[in-house]
Amino acid sequence: MSALHLHEVSKTFALKERQVVALQDISIAVKEQEFVSIVGPSGCGKSTLLLLTAGLESPTAGRIVVDGRPVIAPITDVGIVFQRDVLFDWRTIVGNVMLQADIRRLPRGPALRKTHALLEKVGLAGFEQAYPWQLSGGMRQRVAICRALLHDASLLLMDEPFGALDALTRDQMALDLLRIWSDDRRTALFITHDIAEAVFLSDRVLVMSPRPGRIVADIRIDLPRPRELDIRDEPDFIEYQRKIRKLFESLRVIG
Amino acid sequence: MSRDRIAPALSFAIVLALWEWAARAGWVADYIVPAPSTIVVHIYSTFGLLLRHSYITALEVGLGFLLAVVGGIGIAMAMVYVKTVESVVYPWVVVSQVIPKVAIGPLLLMWLGFGLVPKVVIAFLVAFFPILVGAMIGFRSVEREPLFLLRSMGSSRWQTFWHLQVPTALPNIFAGMKVAITLAVVGAIVGEFIGANVGLGYLLLYANGIIDTKLLFAALVMISVLAMIAYWLVALAERLFIPWHVSVRQDTARPTL
Repeated sequence: MSALHLHEVSKTFALKERQVVALQDISIAVKEQEFVSIVGPSGCGKSTLLLLTAGLESPTAGRIVVDGRPVIAPITDVGIVFQRDVLFDWRTIVGNVMLQADIRRLPRGPALRKTHALLEKVGLAGFEQAYPWQLSGGMRQRVAICRALLHDASLLLMDEPFGALDALTRDQMALDLLRIWSDDRRTALFITHDIAEAVFLSDRVLVMSPRPGRIVADIRIDLPRPRELDIRDEPDFIEYQRKIRKLFESLRVIG
Repeated sequence: MSRDRIAPALSFAIVLALWEWAARAGWVADYIVPAPSTIVVHIYSTFGLLLRHSYITALEVGLGFLLAVVGGIGIAMAMVYVKTVESVVYPWVVVSQVIPKVAIGPLLLMWLGFGLVPKVVIAFLVAFFPILVGAMIGFRSVEREPLFLLRSMGSSRWQTFWHLQVPTALPNIFAGMKVAITLAVVGAIVGEFIGANVGLGYLLLYANGIIDTKLLFAALVMISVLAMIAYWLVALAERLFIPWHVSVRQDTARPTL
Protein backbone atom coordinates (compact mmCIF):
# COMPACT_ATOMS: atom_id res chain seq x y z
CA MET A 1 0.00 0.00 0.00
CA SER A 2 1.28 3.38 -0.79
CA ALA A 3 1.25 6.76 0.80
CA LEU A 4 1.17 9.91 -1.23
CA HIS A 5 2.80 13.27 -0.59
CA LEU A 6 2.66 16.49 -2.54
CA HIS A 7 5.00 19.25 -1.33
CA GLU A 8 4.17 22.77 -2.44
CA VAL A 9 3.34 21.68 -5.95
CA SER A 10 2.62 24.36 -8.53
CA LYS A 11 1.74 24.07 -12.19
CA THR A 12 1.77 26.86 -14.72
CA PHE A 13 0.60 26.52 -18.31
CA ALA A 14 1.65 28.73 -21.17
CA LEU A 15 -1.46 29.69 -23.08
CA LYS A 16 -0.27 31.63 -26.13
CA GLU A 17 1.60 34.60 -24.57
CA ARG A 18 -0.15 34.32 -21.22
CA GLN A 19 1.02 32.31 -18.22
CA VAL A 20 -1.89 30.57 -16.51
CA VAL A 21 -1.34 29.38 -12.95
CA ALA A 22 -3.39 26.19 -12.67
CA LEU A 23 -2.18 25.03 -9.27
CA GLN A 24 -0.45 27.00 -6.54
CA ASP A 25 1.51 25.58 -3.61
CA ILE A 26 -0.52 22.43 -3.18
CA SER A 27 0.55 20.28 -0.25
CA ILE A 28 -1.29 17.04 0.35
CA ALA A 29 -0.53 14.01 2.45
CA VAL A 30 -2.57 10.88 1.90
CA LYS A 31 -1.95 7.98 4.27
CA GLU A 32 -1.94 4.35 3.28
CA GLN A 33 -5.40 2.89 2.77
CA GLU A 34 -6.96 6.31 3.03
CA PHE A 35 -9.76 7.43 0.69
CA VAL A 36 -9.29 11.14 -0.03
CA SER A 37 -11.51 13.24 -2.27
CA ILE A 38 -10.63 16.54 -3.79
CA VAL A 39 -13.68 18.64 -4.46
CA GLY A 40 -13.54 21.87 -6.37
CA PRO A 41 -15.28 23.95 -9.03
CA SER A 42 -14.66 23.12 -12.68
CA GLY A 43 -11.45 24.59 -14.04
CA CYS A 44 -9.69 24.72 -10.66
CA GLY A 45 -6.94 22.36 -11.82
CA LYS A 46 -8.04 19.26 -9.96
CA SER A 47 -7.65 17.04 -13.04
CA THR A 48 -4.16 18.45 -13.53
CA LEU A 49 -3.42 17.52 -9.93
CA LEU A 50 -4.29 13.92 -10.68
CA LEU A 51 -2.12 13.83 -13.81
CA LEU A 52 0.79 15.27 -11.82
CA THR A 53 0.35 12.63 -9.15
CA ALA A 54 0.40 9.90 -11.79
CA GLY A 55 3.58 11.35 -13.26
CA LEU A 56 1.81 11.91 -16.58
CA GLU A 57 2.58 15.62 -16.40
CA SER A 58 5.38 17.30 -14.50
CA PRO A 59 4.94 20.10 -11.98
CA THR A 60 6.43 23.55 -12.54
CA ALA A 61 7.58 23.56 -8.93
CA GLY A 62 7.38 21.30 -5.90
CA ARG A 63 7.85 17.63 -5.19
CA ILE A 64 5.57 14.62 -5.48
CA VAL A 65 6.41 11.44 -3.60
CA VAL A 66 4.54 8.16 -3.91
CA ASP A 67 5.58 5.29 -1.69
CA GLY A 68 8.72 7.11 -0.64
CA ARG A 69 9.89 7.53 -4.25
CA PRO A 70 9.86 10.87 -6.06
CA VAL A 71 7.58 10.88 -9.09
CA ILE A 72 9.62 11.90 -12.14
CA ALA A 73 8.13 9.57 -14.76
CA PRO A 74 4.70 7.93 -15.15
CA ILE A 75 4.17 5.64 -12.17
CA THR A 76 2.89 2.17 -12.98
CA ASP A 77 1.81 0.78 -9.61
CA VAL A 78 -1.44 2.62 -10.09
CA GLY A 79 -4.97 2.19 -11.43
CA ILE A 80 -6.47 5.23 -13.15
CA VAL A 81 -10.10 5.96 -14.01
CA PHE A 82 -10.74 8.99 -16.18
CA GLN A 83 -13.95 10.95 -16.63
CA ARG A 84 -14.31 9.44 -20.09
CA ASP A 85 -14.26 5.66 -19.85
CA VAL A 86 -11.48 5.34 -22.49
CA LEU A 87 -12.63 1.87 -23.51
CA PHE A 88 -11.14 0.45 -26.70
CA ASP A 89 -13.89 -0.13 -29.29
CA TRP A 90 -11.93 -3.02 -30.81
CA ARG A 91 -11.86 -5.01 -27.59
CA THR A 92 -14.73 -6.86 -25.92
CA ILE A 93 -15.65 -6.06 -22.33
CA VAL A 94 -13.38 -8.82 -21.05
CA GLY A 95 -10.73 -7.66 -23.51
CA ASN A 96 -10.90 -4.12 -22.20
CA VAL A 97 -10.36 -5.20 -18.61
CA MET A 98 -7.65 -7.62 -19.74
CA LEU A 99 -5.79 -4.78 -21.47
CA GLN A 100 -4.27 -4.14 -18.06
CA ALA A 101 -2.95 -7.72 -17.94
CA ASP A 102 -1.89 -7.76 -21.61
CA ILE A 103 0.25 -4.63 -21.35
CA ARG A 104 1.76 -5.70 -18.01
CA ARG A 105 2.24 -9.26 -19.26
CA LEU A 106 0.50 -10.73 -16.22
CA PRO A 107 -0.23 -14.48 -16.25
CA ARG A 108 -3.38 -14.89 -18.33
CA GLY A 109 -5.25 -17.52 -16.37
CA PRO A 110 -5.45 -15.77 -12.98
CA ALA A 111 -6.03 -12.38 -14.66
CA LEU A 112 -8.95 -13.80 -16.63
CA ARG A 113 -10.48 -15.29 -13.49
CA LYS A 114 -10.12 -11.98 -11.69
CA THR A 115 -11.65 -10.14 -14.66
CA HIS A 116 -14.75 -12.33 -14.54
CA ALA A 117 -15.01 -11.95 -10.76
CA LEU A 118 -14.75 -8.15 -11.00
CA LEU A 119 -17.30 -7.90 -13.79
CA GLU A 120 -19.67 -10.07 -11.80
CA LYS A 121 -19.23 -7.84 -8.77
CA VAL A 122 -20.26 -4.70 -10.68
CA GLY A 123 -23.26 -6.45 -12.24
CA LEU A 124 -21.83 -7.04 -15.69
CA ALA A 125 -22.03 -10.83 -15.73
CA GLY A 126 -23.40 -11.90 -19.10
CA PHE A 127 -21.83 -8.91 -20.91
CA GLU A 128 -18.31 -10.35 -21.06
CA GLN A 129 -18.28 -10.79 -24.82
CA ALA A 130 -20.21 -7.59 -25.63
CA TYR A 131 -18.48 -4.58 -27.18
CA PRO A 132 -18.31 -1.15 -25.49
CA TRP A 133 -20.76 0.50 -27.90
CA GLN A 134 -23.42 -2.01 -26.87
CA LEU A 135 -23.31 -0.80 -23.25
CA SER A 136 -24.80 2.21 -21.48
CA GLY A 137 -22.61 4.99 -20.07
CA GLY A 138 -22.82 3.63 -16.53
CA MET A 139 -21.94 0.11 -17.62
CA ARG A 140 -18.98 1.40 -19.63
CA GLN A 141 -17.61 3.29 -16.65
CA ARG A 142 -17.96 0.15 -14.53
CA VAL A 143 -15.76 -1.66 -17.05
CA ALA A 144 -13.21 1.15 -16.75
CA ILE A 145 -13.22 0.74 -12.97
CA CYS A 146 -12.70 -3.03 -13.26
CA ARG A 147 -9.77 -2.34 -15.59
CA ALA A 148 -8.21 -0.02 -12.96
CA LEU A 149 -8.59 -2.69 -10.27
CA LEU A 150 -7.41 -5.78 -12.13
CA HIS A 151 -3.72 -5.61 -11.25
CA ASP A 152 -4.10 -4.84 -7.52
CA ALA A 153 -2.29 -1.53 -7.74
CA SER A 154 -1.72 0.01 -4.34
CA LEU A 155 -2.86 3.45 -5.53
CA LEU A 156 -6.18 4.27 -7.16
CA LEU A 157 -6.56 7.61 -8.98
CA MET A 158 -10.03 8.64 -10.16
CA ASP A 159 -10.80 11.79 -12.11
CA GLU A 160 -14.52 12.55 -11.89
CA PRO A 161 -15.34 8.99 -12.96
CA PHE A 162 -19.09 9.51 -12.47
CA GLY A 163 -19.15 13.02 -13.88
CA ALA A 164 -20.91 12.07 -17.10
CA LEU A 165 -23.57 9.85 -15.50
CA ASP A 166 -27.12 10.54 -14.38
CA ALA A 167 -27.94 10.99 -10.67
CA LEU A 168 -29.40 7.51 -10.10
CA THR A 169 -26.49 5.78 -11.80
CA ARG A 170 -24.03 7.93 -9.84
CA ASP A 171 -25.52 6.75 -6.54
CA GLN A 172 -25.28 3.14 -7.56
CA MET A 173 -21.72 3.58 -8.85
CA ALA A 174 -20.59 5.27 -5.64
CA LEU A 175 -22.05 2.40 -3.67
CA ASP A 176 -20.40 -0.20 -5.89
CA LEU A 177 -17.08 1.61 -5.71
CA LEU A 178 -17.18 1.71 -1.91
CA ARG A 179 -17.97 -2.00 -1.70
CA ILE A 180 -15.11 -2.95 -3.98
CA TRP A 181 -12.72 -0.53 -2.31
CA SER A 182 -13.60 -1.89 1.15
CA ASP A 183 -12.43 -5.37 0.09
CA ASP A 184 -8.77 -4.40 0.17
CA ARG A 185 -8.69 -0.66 0.95
CA ARG A 186 -6.18 0.75 -1.47
CA THR A 187 -5.00 4.30 -1.13
CA ALA A 188 -7.45 6.29 -3.21
CA LEU A 189 -7.49 9.82 -4.58
CA PHE A 190 -10.88 10.79 -5.96
CA ILE A 191 -11.50 14.00 -7.91
CA THR A 192 -15.05 15.34 -8.05
CA HIS A 193 -17.17 18.46 -8.15
CA ASP A 194 -20.01 16.76 -6.27
CA ILE A 195 -19.99 17.57 -2.55
CA ALA A 196 -22.32 14.74 -1.46
CA GLU A 197 -20.33 12.21 -3.48
CA ALA A 198 -17.08 13.35 -1.87
CA VAL A 199 -18.49 13.15 1.67
CA PHE A 200 -20.11 9.78 1.03
CA LEU A 201 -16.96 8.12 -0.27
CA SER A 202 -14.13 9.65 1.70
CA ASP A 203 -12.14 9.56 4.90
CA ARG A 204 -11.06 13.11 4.13
CA VAL A 205 -12.30 15.79 1.77
CA LEU A 206 -9.92 18.44 0.48
CA VAL A 207 -11.62 21.58 -0.78
CA MET A 208 -10.04 23.48 -3.65
CA SER A 209 -10.45 27.11 -4.61
CA PRO A 210 -11.10 28.34 -8.14
CA ARG A 211 -8.03 28.98 -10.31
CA PRO A 212 -5.32 29.28 -9.25
CA GLY A 213 -6.20 26.08 -7.42
CA ARG A 214 -5.22 25.98 -3.78
CA ILE A 215 -6.30 23.67 -0.97
CA VAL A 216 -8.47 25.79 1.30
CA ALA A 217 -9.78 23.15 3.71
CA ASP A 218 -9.01 19.62 4.84
CA ILE A 219 -12.10 18.04 6.36
CA ARG A 220 -12.03 14.70 8.14
CA ILE A 221 -15.20 12.72 7.56
CA ASP A 222 -15.92 10.74 10.73
CA LEU A 223 -18.73 8.58 9.46
CA PRO A 224 -18.74 4.85 10.19
CA ARG A 225 -18.05 2.34 7.46
CA PRO A 226 -19.49 0.40 5.74
CA ARG A 227 -21.72 3.18 4.48
CA GLU A 228 -25.05 2.78 2.73
CA LEU A 229 -26.90 5.43 0.76
CA ASP A 230 -29.23 6.36 3.63
CA ILE A 231 -26.26 7.70 5.56
CA ARG A 232 -26.86 10.84 3.53
CA ASP A 233 -29.92 11.55 5.66
CA GLU A 234 -27.92 11.55 8.92
CA PRO A 235 -27.38 14.93 10.62
CA ASP A 236 -23.60 14.48 10.55
CA PHE A 237 -23.57 13.90 6.82
CA ILE A 238 -25.77 16.91 6.20
CA GLU A 239 -23.53 19.01 8.43
CA TYR A 240 -20.40 18.04 6.44
CA GLN A 241 -22.18 18.90 3.23
CA ARG A 242 -23.31 22.26 4.64
CA LYS A 243 -19.80 23.06 5.82
CA ILE A 244 -18.29 22.47 2.38
CA ARG A 245 -21.08 24.36 0.65
CA LYS A 246 -20.47 27.33 2.98
CA LEU A 247 -16.80 27.22 2.01
CA PHE A 248 -17.71 27.45 -1.65
CA GLU A 249 -20.06 30.30 -0.89
CA SER A 250 -17.29 32.18 0.90
CA LEU A 251 -15.04 31.51 -2.13
CA ARG A 252 -17.83 32.91 -4.31
CA VAL A 253 -18.02 29.69 -6.29
CA ILE A 254 -21.74 29.48 -5.54
CA GLY A 255 -24.29 31.80 -4.02
CA MET B 1 -35.10 -10.50 -51.55
CA SER B 2 -35.32 -7.45 -49.35
CA ARG B 3 -36.67 -4.16 -50.62
CA ASP B 4 -33.32 -2.40 -50.74
CA ARG B 5 -32.08 -5.08 -53.14
CA ILE B 6 -35.10 -5.17 -55.42
CA ALA B 7 -34.98 -1.47 -56.26
CA PRO B 8 -31.41 -1.35 -57.64
CA ALA B 9 -31.86 -4.69 -59.45
CA LEU B 10 -35.03 -3.38 -61.05
CA SER B 11 -33.46 -0.12 -62.20
CA PHE B 12 -30.54 -2.05 -63.67
CA ALA B 13 -32.94 -4.38 -65.53
CA ILE B 14 -34.96 -1.46 -66.92
CA VAL B 15 -31.88 0.30 -68.30
CA LEU B 16 -30.66 -2.92 -69.92
CA ALA B 17 -34.09 -3.59 -71.41
CA LEU B 18 -34.32 -0.07 -72.87
CA TRP B 19 -30.81 -0.39 -74.27
CA GLU B 20 -31.61 -3.77 -75.83
CA TRP B 21 -34.84 -2.44 -77.29
CA ALA B 22 -33.14 0.68 -78.71
CA ALA B 23 -30.43 -1.41 -80.33
CA ARG B 24 -32.83 -3.93 -81.85
CA ALA B 25 -35.19 -1.25 -83.12
CA GLY B 26 -32.25 0.09 -85.09
CA TRP B 27 -32.09 3.44 -83.35
CA VAL B 28 -28.35 3.14 -83.10
CA ALA B 29 -26.13 1.22 -85.47
CA ASP B 30 -24.76 -2.08 -84.21
CA TYR B 31 -21.17 -0.99 -84.80
CA ILE B 32 -21.66 2.08 -82.60
CA VAL B 33 -23.57 0.60 -79.65
CA PRO B 34 -24.19 -3.17 -79.81
CA ALA B 35 -27.14 -4.66 -77.92
CA PRO B 36 -26.42 -6.03 -74.42
CA SER B 37 -27.32 -9.54 -75.56
CA THR B 38 -24.77 -9.28 -78.38
CA ILE B 39 -22.10 -8.18 -75.90
CA VAL B 40 -22.91 -11.08 -73.58
CA VAL B 41 -22.66 -13.55 -76.43
CA HIS B 42 -19.38 -11.99 -77.53
CA ILE B 43 -17.95 -12.19 -74.03
CA TYR B 44 -18.91 -15.85 -73.95
CA SER B 45 -17.32 -16.67 -77.29
CA THR B 46 -14.07 -14.77 -76.57
CA PHE B 47 -13.87 -15.60 -72.89
CA GLY B 48 -10.48 -17.30 -73.07
CA LEU B 49 -8.94 -14.28 -74.73
CA LEU B 50 -10.61 -11.84 -72.30
CA LEU B 51 -9.47 -13.87 -69.33
CA ARG B 52 -5.85 -13.90 -70.51
CA HIS B 53 -5.81 -10.11 -70.80
CA SER B 54 -7.77 -9.68 -67.55
CA TYR B 55 -5.19 -11.76 -65.72
CA ILE B 56 -2.38 -9.41 -66.73
CA THR B 57 -4.35 -6.29 -65.79
CA ALA B 58 -5.39 -7.86 -62.48
CA LEU B 59 -1.75 -8.66 -61.76
CA GLU B 60 -0.71 -5.05 -62.44
CA VAL B 61 -3.54 -3.70 -60.28
CA GLY B 62 -2.83 -6.16 -57.46
CA LEU B 63 0.93 -5.52 -57.37
CA GLY B 64 0.53 -1.76 -57.69
CA PHE B 65 -2.07 -1.70 -54.93
CA LEU B 66 -0.01 -3.88 -52.57
CA LEU B 67 3.00 -1.65 -53.09
CA ALA B 68 0.77 1.37 -52.45
CA VAL B 69 -0.48 -0.16 -49.18
CA VAL B 70 3.03 -0.96 -47.95
CA GLY B 71 4.51 2.30 -49.23
CA GLY B 72 1.62 4.53 -48.17
CA ILE B 73 1.43 3.17 -44.63
CA GLY B 74 5.20 2.99 -44.29
CA ILE B 75 5.81 6.57 -45.43
CA ALA B 76 2.89 7.81 -43.29
CA MET B 77 4.36 6.13 -40.19
CA ALA B 78 7.78 7.60 -40.85
CA MET B 79 6.27 11.06 -41.32
CA VAL B 80 4.05 10.90 -38.26
CA TYR B 81 6.67 9.53 -35.89
CA VAL B 82 9.80 11.29 -37.16
CA LYS B 83 9.36 15.03 -37.51
CA THR B 84 12.25 15.61 -39.93
CA VAL B 85 11.00 12.92 -42.28
CA GLU B 86 7.75 14.81 -42.71
CA SER B 87 9.39 18.13 -43.55
CA VAL B 88 11.75 16.45 -46.03
CA VAL B 89 9.49 13.85 -47.64
CA TYR B 90 6.08 15.51 -47.75
CA PRO B 91 6.93 18.10 -50.45
CA TRP B 92 8.22 15.28 -52.66
CA VAL B 93 5.03 13.32 -52.10
CA VAL B 94 2.95 16.32 -53.12
CA VAL B 95 5.14 16.89 -56.19
CA SER B 96 4.66 13.22 -57.15
CA GLN B 97 0.91 13.81 -57.03
CA VAL B 98 0.67 17.07 -58.96
CA ILE B 99 2.58 15.65 -61.93
CA PRO B 100 -0.03 14.00 -64.16
CA LYS B 101 0.78 10.32 -64.35
CA VAL B 102 -0.43 10.13 -67.96
CA ALA B 103 2.17 12.74 -68.83
CA ILE B 104 5.11 10.86 -67.32
CA GLY B 105 3.81 7.51 -68.57
CA PRO B 106 5.86 7.58 -71.80
CA LEU B 107 8.93 8.46 -69.77
CA LEU B 108 8.31 5.56 -67.39
CA LEU B 109 7.98 3.23 -70.36
CA MET B 110 11.27 4.48 -71.73
CA TRP B 111 12.98 3.88 -68.41
CA LEU B 112 11.32 0.66 -67.34
CA GLY B 113 10.60 -1.10 -70.61
CA PHE B 114 7.46 -2.32 -72.25
CA GLY B 115 6.40 -4.99 -69.76
CA LEU B 116 4.60 -5.27 -66.45
CA VAL B 117 6.82 -2.94 -64.40
CA PRO B 118 5.81 0.53 -65.71
CA LYS B 119 2.10 -0.33 -65.31
CA VAL B 120 2.66 -1.48 -61.75
CA VAL B 121 4.58 1.73 -61.08
CA ILE B 122 1.81 3.93 -62.50
CA ALA B 123 -0.85 2.03 -60.52
CA PHE B 124 1.30 2.46 -57.41
CA LEU B 125 1.85 6.18 -58.03
CA VAL B 126 -1.86 6.96 -58.29
CA ALA B 127 -2.92 4.59 -55.50
CA PHE B 128 -0.47 5.34 -52.69
CA PHE B 129 -1.49 8.94 -52.01
CA PRO B 130 -5.00 8.33 -50.59
CA ILE B 131 -3.60 5.52 -48.42
CA LEU B 132 -0.80 7.77 -47.21
CA VAL B 133 -3.22 10.59 -46.34
CA GLY B 134 -5.62 8.18 -44.61
CA ALA B 135 -2.82 6.60 -42.61
CA MET B 136 -1.40 9.99 -41.59
CA ILE B 137 -4.77 11.17 -40.31
CA GLY B 138 -5.29 7.80 -38.63
CA PHE B 139 -1.97 7.67 -36.79
CA ARG B 140 -2.48 11.27 -35.69
CA SER B 141 -5.98 10.60 -34.31
CA VAL B 142 -4.74 9.02 -31.09
CA GLU B 143 -6.07 10.99 -28.13
CA ARG B 144 -4.44 11.92 -24.85
CA GLU B 145 -6.36 9.80 -22.34
CA PRO B 146 -5.78 6.39 -23.93
CA LEU B 147 -2.08 7.28 -24.22
CA PHE B 148 -2.01 8.27 -20.54
CA LEU B 149 -3.82 5.07 -19.64
CA LEU B 150 -1.27 2.91 -21.46
CA ARG B 151 1.65 4.85 -20.02
CA SER B 152 0.34 4.20 -16.51
CA MET B 153 0.41 0.50 -17.39
CA GLY B 154 4.08 0.74 -18.31
CA SER B 155 3.35 0.21 -21.99
CA SER B 156 6.38 0.02 -24.27
CA ARG B 157 6.49 2.02 -27.51
CA TRP B 158 5.79 -1.11 -29.49
CA GLN B 159 2.84 -2.09 -27.25
CA THR B 160 1.33 1.38 -27.55
CA PHE B 161 1.75 1.22 -31.32
CA TRP B 162 0.20 -2.21 -31.63
CA HIS B 163 -2.60 -1.94 -29.07
CA LEU B 164 -3.62 1.68 -29.66
CA GLN B 165 -2.13 3.43 -32.67
CA VAL B 166 -2.75 0.70 -35.25
CA PRO B 167 -6.42 0.08 -34.30
CA THR B 168 -7.03 3.84 -34.16
CA ALA B 169 -5.52 4.33 -37.61
CA LEU B 170 -7.17 1.37 -39.38
CA PRO B 171 -10.57 2.97 -40.21
CA ASN B 172 -8.86 5.87 -41.99
CA ILE B 173 -6.40 3.55 -43.71
CA PHE B 174 -9.28 1.48 -45.07
CA ALA B 175 -11.04 4.62 -46.28
CA GLY B 176 -7.86 5.48 -48.19
CA MET B 177 -7.56 1.92 -49.52
CA LYS B 178 -11.08 2.01 -50.93
CA VAL B 179 -10.26 5.11 -52.96
CA ALA B 180 -6.85 3.69 -53.86
CA ILE B 181 -8.08 0.39 -55.29
CA THR B 182 -10.32 2.08 -57.88
CA LEU B 183 -7.47 4.46 -58.76
CA ALA B 184 -5.08 1.51 -59.13
CA VAL B 185 -7.34 0.04 -61.84
CA VAL B 186 -7.35 3.35 -63.71
CA GLY B 187 -3.55 3.56 -63.32
CA ALA B 188 -2.98 0.10 -64.80
CA ILE B 189 -5.34 0.75 -67.75
CA VAL B 190 -3.66 4.10 -68.47
CA GLY B 191 -0.30 2.35 -68.37
CA GLU B 192 -1.54 -0.15 -70.93
CA PHE B 193 -2.91 2.64 -73.12
CA ILE B 194 0.52 4.23 -73.30
CA GLY B 195 2.28 1.14 -74.46
CA ALA B 196 1.48 -2.56 -74.10
CA ASN B 197 0.81 -5.69 -76.10
CA VAL B 198 -1.32 -7.38 -73.49
CA GLY B 199 -3.93 -6.39 -70.89
CA LEU B 200 -7.49 -5.10 -71.00
CA GLY B 201 -6.36 -1.52 -71.72
CA TYR B 202 -4.39 -2.77 -74.69
CA LEU B 203 -7.36 -4.88 -75.85
CA LEU B 204 -9.63 -1.84 -75.60
CA LEU B 205 -7.32 0.28 -77.77
CA TYR B 206 -6.86 -2.60 -80.22
CA ALA B 207 -10.64 -3.09 -80.55
CA ASN B 208 -11.04 0.63 -81.03
CA GLY B 209 -8.41 0.61 -83.76
CA ILE B 210 -10.19 -2.05 -85.81
CA ILE B 211 -13.65 -0.65 -84.94
CA ASP B 212 -14.67 -3.91 -83.23
CA THR B 213 -17.27 -2.37 -80.88
CA LYS B 214 -18.38 -5.76 -79.57
CA LEU B 215 -14.85 -6.54 -78.39
CA LEU B 216 -14.48 -3.00 -77.07
CA PHE B 217 -17.60 -3.36 -74.93
CA ALA B 218 -16.55 -6.83 -73.85
CA ALA B 219 -13.23 -5.41 -72.61
CA LEU B 220 -15.10 -2.58 -70.91
CA VAL B 221 -17.33 -5.06 -69.08
CA MET B 222 -14.27 -7.04 -67.98
CA ILE B 223 -12.56 -3.89 -66.64
CA SER B 224 -15.70 -3.00 -64.68
CA VAL B 225 -15.99 -6.51 -63.28
CA LEU B 226 -12.32 -6.50 -62.34
CA ALA B 227 -12.64 -3.13 -60.58
CA MET B 228 -15.75 -4.28 -58.76
CA ILE B 229 -14.15 -7.50 -57.52
CA ALA B 230 -11.07 -5.56 -56.39
CA TYR B 231 -13.20 -3.04 -54.50
CA TRP B 232 -15.29 -5.80 -52.98
CA LEU B 233 -12.14 -7.55 -51.71
CA VAL B 234 -11.01 -4.36 -49.94
CA ALA B 235 -14.48 -3.84 -48.47
CA LEU B 236 -14.44 -7.47 -47.28
CA ALA B 237 -11.04 -6.99 -45.65
CA GLU B 238 -12.42 -3.88 -43.96
CA ARG B 239 -15.30 -5.84 -42.49
CA LEU B 240 -12.88 -8.52 -41.27
CA PHE B 241 -10.36 -6.11 -39.75
CA ILE B 242 -12.55 -3.41 -38.20
CA PRO B 243 -15.97 -4.98 -37.50
CA TRP B 244 -16.03 -2.82 -34.36
CA HIS B 245 -15.92 0.51 -36.17
CA VAL B 246 -19.01 2.69 -36.31
CA SER B 247 -18.90 2.81 -40.12
CA VAL B 248 -18.92 -0.97 -40.45
CA ARG B 249 -21.07 -2.37 -37.66
CA GLN B 250 -24.71 -3.05 -38.40
CA ASP B 251 -26.42 -1.98 -35.18
CA THR B 252 -26.07 1.76 -35.35
CA ALA B 253 -28.71 4.22 -36.50
CA ARG B 254 -27.69 6.04 -39.66
CA PRO B 255 -27.65 9.81 -39.69
CA THR B 256 -30.29 11.42 -41.86
CA LEU B 257 -30.61 14.89 -43.25
